[in-house]
Amino acid sequence: MARAAAVRVDENSRGSTGTQARPDQEALLEVSNLVKYFPLRRGLLSALRGGPAPAVHAVDGVSFSVYKGEVYGIVGESGCGKTTLGRVLLRLIDPQQGRIVFDGQDILRLSPEEMKGLRRRMQIVFQDPYESMNPRLDVFRIVSEPLRIQGITKNQAETMERVERALTDVEMIPPDEYVYRYPHELSGGQRQRIALARALVLDPEFIVADEPVSMLDVSIRGGILNLMLRLSREKGVSFVYITHDLATARHICDRIGVMYLGKLVEEGKADDIVTTPLHPYTKALLSAVLIPDPSRKGLQQVLPGEVPNAVYPPSGCRLHPRCPLARDICRQQEPALVEKGEGHEVACHFA
Amino acid sequence: MSQALTASKAEVSPRGSKTGRMRSRSGFLGFWSQFFRRPYGVVGLALLAVYVILAVAAPWLTPYRPSDTFLADRLAAPSWAGIFPRFRGVPPTKRLVIPASDWKATGLVAATVTRQKVENNGEATVINLSPEATGSASADLSWTLSYPYDPPKTFEVNIPYAVEAPWDASTSLSFKVVDPSGTEHVVWEKTVYGSSDWKTQKLDSRDYTVKMALGLSFFDDPAQVVFAERGDYHLALHVESSGGSAPVRVTVGEVGFNVLGLLHGILGTDHMGADLWTQLLYGARISLIIGIVAAIMAVAIGTAIGLISGYMGGAVDEFLMRMADVFLSVPTLPILIILSAFFGKNLGNIIILVAAFAWMGTARVVRSQTLSLKQRAFVESARAAGASDGYIMVTHLLPNVFPLVVANAVLMMPVAILYEASLSFLGLGDPRIPTWGRMLQNARAFGAFTEFAWWWLIPPGLAITLLSLSFTLIGNAVNEVLNPRYRERA
Ligand SMILES: Nc1ncnc2c1ncn2[C@@H]1O[C@H](COP(=O)(O)OP(=O)(O)O)[C@@H](O)[C@H]1O
Ligand code: SF4
Ligand SMILES: [Mg+2]
Repeated sequence: MARAAAVRVDENSRGSTGTQARPDQEALLEVSNLVKYFPLRRGLLSALRGGPAPAVHAVDGVSFSVYKGEVYGIVGESGCGKTTLGRVLLRLIDPQQGRIVFDGQDILRLSPEEMKGLRRRMQIVFQDPYESMNPRLDVFRIVSEPLRIQGITKNQAETMERVERALTDVEMIPPDEYVYRYPHELSGGQRQRIALARALVLDPEFIVADEPVSMLDVSIRGGILNLMLRLSREKGVSFVYITHDLATARHICDRIGVMYLGKLVEEGKADDIVTTPLHPYTKALLSAVLIPDPSRKGLQQVLPGEVPNAVYPPSGCRLHPRCPLARDICRQQEPALVEKGEGHEVACHFA
Repeated sequence: MSQALTASKAEVSPRGSKTGRMRSRSGFLGFWSQFFRRPYGVVGLALLAVYVILAVAAPWLTPYRPSDTFLADRLAAPSWAGIFPRFRGVPPTKRLVIPASDWKATGLVAATVTRQKVENNGEATVINLSPEATGSASADLSWTLSYPYDPPKTFEVNIPYAVEAPWDASTSLSFKVVDPSGTEHVVWEKTVYGSSDWKTQKLDSRDYTVKMALGLSFFDDPAQVVFAERGDYHLALHVESSGGSAPVRVTVGEVGFNVLGLLHGILGTDHMGADLWTQLLYGARISLIIGIVAAIMAVAIGTAIGLISGYMGGAVDEFLMRMADVFLSVPTLPILIILSAFFGKNLGNIIILVAAFAWMGTARVVRSQTLSLKQRAFVESARAAGASDGYIMVTHLLPNVFPLVVANAVLMMPVAILYEASLSFLGLGDPRIPTWGRMLQNARAFGAFTEFAWWWLIPPGLAITLLSLSFTLIGNAVNEVLNPRYRERA
């Protein structure tokens, strides 16, 4: 964990509630067999030639559950479909297949009005804090916007009170020092806290945080991650924490799902994933973190080759062109996610 | 594993150049301080200010209305053109009202002349004739006019008169002009039998009756004949009565004598003797209104279509953009000509038509900006909060495309003005409204080219050019301030 030190995650806050996945707990979100692909524009010739329309298979049959109050990590290389998965979870885009059950409701079947109501309960924090807020609005307008859209508060005073509470929750203290600032007057870390405050202002039960710290300075990442952890523990908010960084995921997540080319290849308790990884891809990710020379592309040294084209993914196990253990069966047959330990599932013929 | 990436992103600090630019751009004062740093923008604004002042102050800058005709002769040159040799000695307009007291009685036969107040008509000259004694009585009145100019093209005489006489009296009135060399030109003769109520005899030198009175042919020009010399002329009124059995009383009101000048006002006159400076001033109002209203309409349409097209995407986008292509590919002016002929000539129609064919550029620019804006996470963030499409377009997209829209609107104004001018020039403008295009159209139709009436041709053309230039200068400066990234493309 070369960089674990830089990300000073508060071990105590996590330790106190335990790192165990809680299978006995109620699931807040259940996703099954989610498929999202983006059709490519095809030329006239290929359209005439017929055959299946080419598409980016961004999310290709993903199933998992998120328990109440849990931080669930989704870890994978850039381009493996994490952001797409996060957007589908909140139904910001509609998937082609699958079910998303949030607190007993299949959200893909909700009408626009019902969906709007549900959005009070599920929120998202985006990767890029420079992009995720309208530069022409001040902090007050940004944070209070969900309240206004949802028509929750009755007057300005009440709105201000909720905005200040949300700002306090994200440790922007004192809040009135920040409410009338504009995004460009804030640092990256402050902006990401504002984004979090905006997500929190509706008191949601579920937040998708899509790489919330990847664009921030390493020195301030820990603060944001600790904040998420604290919110999850104190307010019982469930998080899906999307990241390409197994190290930070290990520190704040209860459970982790590892994604490769639109599929979950391994899922388990955070500690199990890190201490006893079963899938060759997870192992590669881990050893990449340990590679001492960060100037060479870490993952390249353990997993040769490039991430394959998501338009025409490899047959069988999607990792086989890069996997050191690959055999014939890997090329022909797709491995299913199988439980190998307590709550530890893996999709590999040779795990 | 991606530390290099992380580090480079982290360098985009809050005090980076990106932020600095955004900050200086924000705010009303910031905008103007940036704007005033651009000399051509300031020039454009000053030019526009002149136009606005001229348009607003039009009623105070000219004593006439655009519809007033025969303020001077047709195609009169501007007064100041007298400094050129070609216009030296050209007569200015003279509008004389000869008061009763100014008439000099020269020959009285059985007659007396007095003066008397007349209701609403100043003072009248009363000529009392007593033909009953001698059988005939007459009076001659004369007034001296100094005329040191070339012959005019037209003169006019107004003679209000009344006759009170017994039924058997025949009274004749005549008006003549005696030139410096003594030749008498009888312009008008009238015989009244018995009495006559108040009448005003209007004489125009171009009238056939005047030509007849002068013994001229239909093709002769009385003004040239009568005022052939420079010097002192005498306007003479001769009244004679005979055969009456009782005294005759002839009352002559204030006689008006006008020479329609060939030099007039600041910019001369058109084919109807209407004041061109007045038309130019009132034309500025119309051009500014058309430019501003049509441009705002065009840009509003373009913005709405661009926003919807860019944001909705898919079939809606496809449809709207193909529609824009159709509008772009039809030749605008011919279509405008056909449609304005079809819908009728009025200002509102012209504005609507111009707007209907000028929105496409804005729609395209706004659409492309919207395409990139809607990718920004704050749009998705609003959707995640439950925002509707309309809310997102109005609250998040519109303010962000607004700078583009403003610059587009300013740059659209000269386009609208030129379209209106073109339509008017082709005779498809609103005939009741003085516009620059109509001035040019009249100039072309009524001989400004053949007579080389430069004071009629140049001002409207120059006014259109300079106003367009001013909008273009302002528009480019606004664009540079508000949309630095679009600078090269604008
Ligand atoms: N809106 C989209 N249209 C087309 N392709 C997309 C879109 N969003 C993502 N993709 C593609 O889907 C794949 C997964 O992208 P993404 O979910 O952003 O991955 P990650 O977040 O893991 O980096 C990529 O190949 C990307 O190019
Ligand atoms: S299934 Fe085969 S190719 Fe896939 S990860 Fe396992 S060993 Fe490698
Ligand atoms: Mg992503």
